[in-house]
Amino acid sequence: MKRLFLIVLFALLMFAVIYIWSKSYYTSQEEAYIELSIDTEQAFIPSEKGVFERSEYALDYAKMPEDKDHQRTLKTYYNNRAFHGAPPSIPHPVIDDLTIGGKSCLKCHQNGGFVSKFKAYAPVVPHPEKVNCRQCHVTENTKGVFKNYTKQDFYVPIEDNAAFVGAPPVIPHQIQMHENCLACHAGPAAPKEIRVIHPERSNCRQCHVVNNKELKDIGNFIR
Amino acid sequence: MSQKNIDRRSFVKKMATAAAMTAAASMFPGIIFASEQIENLPNGGNLEWKKGPCRFCGVGCGILVGVENGKAVAVKGDPNSFVNKGLLCVKGYHQTMCIQAKDRLTYALVKKNGSYVKTPISEALDIVANKMKETIEKHGKDAVAMYTSGQSTIPEGYVASKLMKGAIGTNNLDCNARLCMASAVTGFLTTFGADEPMGCYEDINHADYFITWGNNMAEMHPVLFSRMLEQKNNRGAKIIDFATRTTRSSMAANKSILFEPQTDLAVANAICYEIINNGWVNKLFVEKHCNFSKGSTNIGYGTEDKFKFKDKPVGINFEEFKKFLEDYTPEKVAKYSKVSVKDIKYLANIYGDPNKKVVSYWCMGMNQHTRGTWINNLVYNIHLLTGKISQPGNGPFSLTGQPSACGTAREVGTFTHKLPKGVVMNEKHRRLAAKIWKVPYENIPSKPTYHATEMFRAVDRGDIKFIWTQVTNPLVSLPKTSRYRPGMEKDSCFVVVSDVFPTPTSDVADVILPASWHIEKGGLYGNSERRTQHWDKMIEGPGDTTPDAWMTIEVAKRMGYGDLFPYSEENHVEEIYNEYIQFHEGAKHGMAPLEVLKKESGAIWPYVNGKSTQWRFNAKYDPACSNGEDFHFYGKPDGKAVIWQRPYEPAAESPDQEFPFWLNTGRVIEHWHTGSMTRRIPVLHKAMPHAYVEFHPDDAKTLGIRNGEKVKVTSRRGSCTLPASINQRGLPTKGQVFVPFFDESMLINDVTLDAFCPISKEPDYKKCAVKIERV
Repeated sequence: MKRLFLIVLFALLMFAVIYIWSKSYYTSQEEAYIELSIDTEQAFIPSEKGVFERSEYALDYAKMPEDKDHQRTLKTYYNNRAFHGAPPSIPHPVIDDLTIGGKSCLKCHQNGGFVSKFKAYAPVVPHPEKVNCRQCHVTENTKGVFKNYTKQDFYVPIEDNAAFVGAPPVIPHQIQMHENCLACHAGPAAPKEIRVIHPERSNCRQCHVVNNKELKDIGNFIR
Repeated sequence: MSQKNIDRRSFVKKMATAAAMTAAASMFPGIIFASEQIENLPNGGNLEWKKGPCRFCGVGCGILVGVENGKAVAVKGDPNSFVNKGLLCVKGYHQTMCIQAKDRLTYALVKKNGSYVKTPISEALDIVANKMKETIEKHGKDAVAMYTSGQSTIPEGYVASKLMKGAIGTNNLDCNARLCMASAVTGFLTTFGADEPMGCYEDINHADYFITWGNNMAEMHPVLFSRMLEQKNNRGAKIIDFATRTTRSSMAANKSILFEPQTDLAVANAICYEIINNGWVNKLFVEKHCNFSKGSTNIGYGTEDKFKFKDKPVGINFEEFKKFLEDYTPEKVAKYSKVSVKDIKYLANIYGDPNKKVVSYWCMGMNQHTRGTWINNLVYNIHLLTGKISQPGNGPFSLTGQPSACGTAREVGTFTHKLPKGVVMNEKHRRLAAKIWKVPYENIPSKPTYHATEMFRAVDRGDIKFIWTQVTNPLVSLPKTSRYRPGMEKDSCFVVVSDVFPTPTSDVADVILPASWHIEKGGLYGNSERRTQHWDKMIEGPGDTTPDAWMTIEVAKRMGYGDLFPYSEENHVEEIYNEYIQFHEGAKHGMAPLEVLKKESGAIWPYVNGKSTQWRFNAKYDPACSNGEDFHFYGKPDGKAVIWQRPYEPAAESPDQEFPFWLNTGRVIEHWHTGSMTRRIPVLHKAMPHAYVEFHPDDAKTLGIRNGEKVKVTSRRGSCTLPASINQRGLPTKGQVFVPFFDESMLINDVTLDAFCPISKEPDYKKCAVKIERV
């Protein structure tokens, strides 16, 4: 009985050896193949991608009640801008002059929110990826000027940028650095005149197109 | 929706509130609006709002046109329309502004001694009719041709077909929808035996995944894309963009997968391979409702004149199909498609998961393809193998480009081989047409003649001696215009062009007929989801402008066919529609009666017992299903859909040493096709003033090209100089350039190739080889 058991055991081991060896032999006969790894480089178009950013908050914006007592107007919006499209200056004191935006400015300006100290909503930055904020945005540390200068009035294209009553207004500003529409046009910090009434429609440029692709007047289409 | 004498301010206020409330009620309870903005809307005026479909794309949004003192002054989305629910795109909102363009064609112009002479319309129509008659007498019926449009209204297409096929007796009628939808039609016919999508736009509300095949919906079907985004934001539906170019759609999508041009054929097969290999086949569905078949291979590209091809289908079984797919494992396909194995498996996983609802969308990427019919078949294969078809939120959906490519070109049948019901090759179909048209049955020839490309080749060869184009601008939109422009300029062919504005096509015309624009006439359009929409004339057109249908009827009368066209000028739209719908009677294609269409914002056919059929072939929704099963593909005699074995074959022309770049062409959101309307709308022109050639930044760097710099794009056919665009609207893959075709002063179609799908005869505008030079 013991002998039979040993024979069967060895026979089984033999079969196992033959099986494993043959399998590994045939596998080794297969053509060597290394899967091509193709760079799937992530394509990115800034002017197109920006439009859809923050759209995850679009529903919240739509549901948000209007806080009439603390809304911004275009007047206050342009108060700290030298001209239409200029980077705004910082209208509040800054405690730490050494840090750049990533650590300080973005705390309030990435997503906005009510600041009780200033009784105002913090505006949302349309380009939070650019963290060296104070490269362009400076504080106002004095009310005076070095020498008197002539203040230029600048044109604010808000009244006449729809083709007819009810038509979607065109975008009257350059969109470079302002690709993300919802940052300035939705939420409690958006100036009331330019706050969108339908933030949930996140594909803004479906209806609103830029009116100044060429910087000089290109006139109407003439054959 | 017509309301009179309401103060504009209060009306606009109401309209904004109403539209917002509709949206709010359905999606966002508790929504609050910037009420001050609405309060500050300007005052005054009386607007009357009139309902119709949008003039532009195949989505077929409902619009309301604000008319004041007989002038169209405003446009808004129709909140009652199931298509767009009150939303439009930038083209839609500004559409009526084009009619105020100063160079509008308001009188007929007849070329006399090389210059155009203003001519009364009736005299111009006399000239057209006489010339047509004279040409037929001298050179035979097949020397005259008509080339119409997927933007023609249903009555316009119907009278054109009746005149050419019924009265004159020639099949020389084709339309520009050949350039955009023909592959979709042959795809549907080969797989299902019945044209047009089985699903509808409501699928968007149910699907978990939207997979777009070579389709930039954010720009081309923006309203549908917005509906998809709504679902993405509200309930986490996912958008997968599968394309050869990174676009606005890719930016909004959850995932963007890029492939090498033409390899979509291989990837689709690889997806089928994965589905079968992983046991994701819906066996019961396939056994009950599908057959397997294969067709001819190495079928050519049609670049030569008088090219002929006939497919020879052979039935196969599942095992043979499975064997065939072994050439398309993800590993093999990844090597030449440049799609990673992981991404192919990812796509297959989505289709294969029985708990996920998937809609596939496509438009020109798959249709303008030298294997357009095949790739349509292949995507149907995926949906048939998994049984994801004809159910809410599950199905393949072929989007159309033009507003009535379905309604007119496909349903009325303004193709050389088509009749309003069926095809000219079928005796029964010819007899039915002859009976309704009241013409002798022998009048309708049984052989198709020229498809679009071949029609213009015949003009160039001198075989066609008279051509009348309506609602289309072939000398901007045909491929290889570098051949067809000189062809149409030849004296051998008399060219009549009906249009609203002067175009490069009207420049070569002998007679230019001034057409009424969209809302200056009544009509019917049929959109992608089988929805027929009617509109009444809203305003008067200027000068001698006349509806295209009425011009066709007037010419028919002058040629002596008055008895066949007994319509009245005021009511011809209704009379023609009522005659036309006799063709489609029955549960499979019944059309909604006019009273319904006047009242509602469109109805979907088959319209049976006062109800639209939203999902065809599904017994739960479609009363035409009669086999007692859950599904019935009644387009085929045995009630079964066909799963086709279609291989990968290369493009007609691929980049080589001399011409190292792929050229892809397409559209932009601001412009409609050849731009003859939208470029005359200041808002749109300012947003997109001219065409451009897009580069991948790496290619631009290698070539030393900077943004805005003039660049010459040259192929074996011709060349075109445009400013370069880098990192702007879109981003082609490396080795590819993209040019939009709307700009008549930068004619990229001088460069494109007139190769077409041998089955559908639809040209491929997306692939040819070019070289790039700095100017």
